[in-house]
Amino acid sequence: MTTVEDGSYEKFLPEGIPASQMPFWESLRAHDIRVQRCDRCETYRYHPKETCPTCQSREATWAPLSGLGTIYTYTIVRRAPTAAYVSDLPYALVHATMGEGFRMAAGVAELDITGLRIGMPVRIVYEDITPDWTLFRFTSL
Amino acid sequence: MGELQDAAVAGVYQSEQGDLSSRDQADVWWEAAEGACRDAGMELADIDGLVGNGPNGIGLRSHMPGAGLAEQLGHPLRFHAKSESGAGSPLAGLNLAAHAVTQGLADAVVIVNAVAGAGEGYTSSDRDASVAAMAKLSGPYEYVYGTTRVADYAVFAMRHFHEFGTKSAQLAEVAVAQRHHATLHPLSVNGRRGEITVDDVLNSPMIADPLHLYDCCVINQGAGAMIVTKATHVASLGRHPAVVLLGYGEGHSHLDPNSVVSMTECPAAKLAADTAFGMAAVQRDEIDVAGLADHFTIGVILGVEDAGFCGRGEGGSFVEGGGIGLDGHLPINTSGGHLSFSHAGFCGIFTAIEVVEQLRHESGERQVDGARVGFVTATGGAQQAHAAAVLARA
Repeated sequence: MTTVEDGSYEKFLPEGIPASQMPFWESLRAHDIRVQRCDRCETYRYHPKETCPTCQSREATWAPLSGLGTIYTYTIVRRAPTAAYVSDLPYALVHATMGEGFRMAAGVAELDITGLRIGMPVRIVYEDITPDWTLFRFTSL
Repeated sequence: MGELQDAAVAGVYQSEQGDLSSRDQADVWWEAAEGACRDAGMELADIDGLVGNGPNGIGLRSHMPGAGLAEQLGHPLRFHAKSESGAGSPLAGLNLAAHAVTQGLADAVVIVNAVAGAGEGYTSSDRDASVAAMAKLSGPYEYVYGTTRVADYAVFAMRHFHEFGTKSAQLAEVAVAQRHHATLHPLSVNGRRGEITVDDVLNSPMIADPLHLYDCCVINQGAGAMIVTKATHVASLGRHPAVVLLGYGEGHSHLDPNSVVSMTECPAAKLAADTAFGMAAVQRDEIDVAGLADHFTIGVILGVEDAGFCGRGEGGSFVEGGGIGLDGHLPINTSGGHLSFSHAGFCGIFTAIEVVEQLRHESGERQVDGARVGFVTATGGAQQAHAAAVLARA
């Protein structure tokens, strides 16, 4: 995984993340991913939300994840959004149904993208992209 | 006071579509507004209501569109409202305008979508700038990975292929049919490029699997406008048959593709369509012509399913064999749609204008014989916000 120390990271960084959602990003930095889980009905909330879409409770706990999922859908990007992503082309974007029953979307790492299939099991790995930000990606089991 | 159905589209106008970067945005706005008035047999002085954006001003001006327009028209406006539904905004605006005229809040409401000049982001004529801006329409939880708007729809298509066996060749049929329609519309961006075949679509560069270049909408500038008034007024003007709003519905869904429960059916799109059909008391098989949001070919396939023109998973078969062509079982996007006519700004207005012209029987070579009832959808974002309307020739 690449670590960029000199601030030269030119891809999109997360912007406008409210303080209430920072525990997610801090959990990535700690390589210990955590997602909100509703205190009332135990539904996971991702992306972070102020209320539970199932029971509308506003209370939640940042719960650890197995990090395991299966591919729900994916695409392979062959036309990059900006110049910073061009050298990565072609690259995959995966939406996975996590073992805990909700979906997460991310890029992939150390994975042959020509072998991607819906239903394929994946697990989360971490990528420290700047001193402040870490992303998660999916890789094969 | 009156029913929604007492409101009608009185005038429509579409400017040149393409690269309008050398033109002033406000000039194009006025061209469209004036054109729609002229089409209606009205004058700019008749406008007393505005829905959506006025001609752009600076700072405070752009935040008070009604005041900005009133200042220039020289008389107070009686009504301004605005929907924030992305490309769906103009169709949502048609509903707002219809309410205004039927509730006596205004007599003539103008709706204008005008994109020109050195527009930023998705209003730019520069492809790279537009693609980069649209990439960030998905939120930070997704755009950090290099999502694009094409990719945001590609994941829907990939899942549809998986669940229902839908094929790239079926998506291609949408592009082929709509390109043919565009060749019959002198203002369309892609019509001048001529007909395409299914093989042309399949051989065009892959942008985000399984979507090829020709599965994607055009990137362009341009303007469209509508004037809404009472149907009785349209009749007295004597220029065109009134096209009335028989039914309307909305469905607001989600912000990021990751958050949808299913990527192959959209409850919010169904809600919008069901509400519109219910209000109109019209059955699906009574629709003569439709305009469905088609930022990408998969949008039409999802659109016919969610609107109830076919069953879930049957969208691929529905569009096959010329099904959505002018002689098909349901002609769709008969100007070429966003794929081949125009995708400028809040582009849902172009979808609606084409259906209005069809119901007036003013579509020339594109005319669907005897069209009396039309269905229109407009979608903001990647299946995020949906508006649906049933329109009818009075």
